[in-house]
Amino acid sequence: MNQRTIQIEKLLSVGASRLLARASETHSLTSETLIPRIRAVVSKYVLRDDENASFEAITDFIEKLQADDLCLIVACEQGNEKAWTDLVERFSTTVRSAARSASSNEEGAEDLTQSIWAELYGLRVREDGKPAGKLAYYSGRGSLAGWLRAVVAQLAVDQHRKQSRLVQTEEDSDFDRMIQEGQDENDWTGHGGVVNPELEVSAKLAGAEMQKALAMSVQQLSAEDRLLVKLYYFDGLRLREAGALLGVHEATASRRLTRIHADLRRQVENRLIEKGWSRPETERAFSEIALHLEADIEPLLAGEGVLISKENEIAG
Amino acid sequence: MKQDKNNEMDLLLRSLARGRGGESSLDVGQASTSGKGVSNHLDADELSCFAEGVLPAPARERYIAHLADCESCRGVVVNLMQASGVAVRPEPLEQKSGAGFWHKIGALFSPPVLRYAVPVVALTAVIAISFLAFRQQRGSDLVARNEPIISSAPAVTNEQQSGSALPQSSLETTTKLRSGAESPAQADSDRFKSASKDERTSVAQGSATIAGASVPTPSPLKDSMQSKQGYTVDGSRPVFAPEPQAAPAPPPKAALNEVDKAAAVQKEEVSRREVQALPREEEKNQPRDDAGRHGPARSNTTLSGSKRAEGLMTESRDSVSKSKKDSDDEVETRTVSGRRFRRQGSLWIDTAYDSSRGTITLSRGSEQFRALVADEPGIRTIAEKLDGVVIVVWKGRAYRIQ
Repeated sequence: MNQRTIQIEKLLSVGASRLLARASETHSLTSETLIPRIRAVVSKYVLRDDENASFEAITDFIEKLQADDLCLIVACEQGNEKAWTDLVERFSTTVRSAARSASSNEEGAEDLTQSIWAELYGLRVREDGKPAGKLAYYSGRGSLAGWLRAVVAQLAVDQHRKQSRLVQTEEDSDFDRMIQEGQDENDWTGHGGVVNPELEVSAKLAGAEMQKALAMSVQQLSAEDRLLVKLYYFDGLRLREAGALLGVHEATASRRLTRIHADLRRQVENRLIEKGWSRPETERAFSEIALHLEADIEPLLAGEGVLISKENEIAG
Repeated sequence: MKQDKNNEMDLLLRSLARGRGGESSLDVGQASTSGKGVSNHLDADELSCFAEGVLPAPARERYIAHLADCESCRGVVVNLMQASGVAVRPEPLEQKSGAGFWHKIGALFSPPVLRYAVPVVALTAVIAISFLAFRQQRGSDLVARNEPIISSAPAVTNEQQSGSALPQSSLETTTKLRSGAESPAQADSDRFKSASKDERTSVAQGSATIAGASVPTPSPLKDSMQSKQGYTVDGSRPVFAPEPQAAPAPPPKAALNEVDKAAAVQKEEVSRREVQALPREEEKNQPRDDAGRHGPARSNTTLSGSKRAEGLMTESRDSVSKSKKDSDDEVETRTVSGRRFRRQGSLWIDTAYDSSRGTITLSRGSEQFRALVADEPGIRTIAEKLDGVVIVVWKGRAYRIQ
């Protein structure tokens, strides 16, 4: 055991003691029971990405662990019945709420809730005779409520995935066909007005090529830019929310998105030029396709407006 | 143009997103190619930590790379964020720490705080000092202005008893005296009016009057007044000559600031000039007064002096009260070229004029005057319509046109 490892172990020991001191309810835990958990968490979130992380960084990380939540979960894991009762009492509302959000009906939500508690407690038994539940995966870095919501959401996704695996596969193949063959169901250039069949085919092909180039360009963006694009366009988050997830202000996210637009446009143009397009042709194609898309979106927006006004009338 | 291009890309990306069913397959494909299968999805703890923004930076970058390509994990993160309202991310919880107080103290004097705090403190100090200086200046003005008002009422009785010296610088008084055609009682009444006017309108004049206690009083004025009151019995001092200006001891000169002193000296010069012109007028009227004093009627006047003095006292009291009532109404004002002027003796003074302000003296017909009125025709109109000395405030400057 080298000097650094010994020093880290000291930090873990001190950190465990301080964590117990910070906790309002220790559930009869000792620092020895907490040290393995803290070691695993530090290894996962600090040392895995930076083996030479400073001692200050490690100490700071341990200091920011949620003392009360972590003690409660470790106590539950240790088989403390009182801690388990506390956990259920404090977080049953959170779990039920998350289950309702993830389920389409009340019955499904109730099933999901029961499944969650079973998953947490652990239906299987580990080698040491303790139940092998999901409680072992809570690090204490985030809030316990947030972790429980995440567990519920993942379980719901798993259940949904098991039920619809076949359908998912068909969608995948549809998308692959769209990318490969340039046949988009949205039909970028299929808006009315093109009479000449030859021109129509040509326009469709141009739109498909542009879509393919755009999809490839998005994949070439940096991970953070790609995540921003997907959070904003694909997941429908507002810039403020997307920025919050990325740890930046809304204004920064907006500036970044503007830069991404420019990068994507440049990349798409280059890809199209590589395929034999001239620059004026790419410019014209961008304008025409955007014009058609705008015309496609307007009726949708108008329809939404009518719906909203009708809802308002009914409500009013 | 750039905005249009951005809009085009925005529309194209939205259209691409509408084919979202395919995005998941693209994500899975990417994850597979990068060595991340479905089994490598982020666990619940990683997802919740990412959604709450509590991960260390290196770990965060790793998860960003996964979330950019994994719709499933991203969906969970999005749901978690929306459920917990992470968009308004709370500050990290304050940990119990013994060094918290010293941390706060240290933070209070840290360079980033001092960088803004020092200029703010300095600016506040400058504003406070300026305010105090301004208050002091105003305070001294008020002293100079209020002193005669306080002393004016008792001055009547004091003067009746002691018959102290006459004022030295009341232009109104000198004007009335020069006329010589009014009765003594009327003259007294006018004197009170002019005194009250002076007290209200002219700080500098007031201060000059106060300072007059130590400045030698021009004797011709006093003599002329005494000569007009020739009905006194055997040189006894007249008891019907209340003089509001003869107030008790004025405030110390130190209370007057330099501006007040300058204005007072200026006004004193003006009044002295006016008073110096008085003896010449007096000389013209002297034979008639002398005739009244030394002529045959003198004995009658002397005999009935005490009675007459009593009657004059009554009249003077009446006139004092009357003058106090009517003094506000009787101030003559005129408006020329949009400026309002108040008559003060032979002076026309702009109501906007502050006596502490310096004036530029111009003579009508002088080269300077012609140059000024060429630029400012309004001043020409004022000078033409108002005769005598005019003090006008024009574009922030005070001109004395004589």
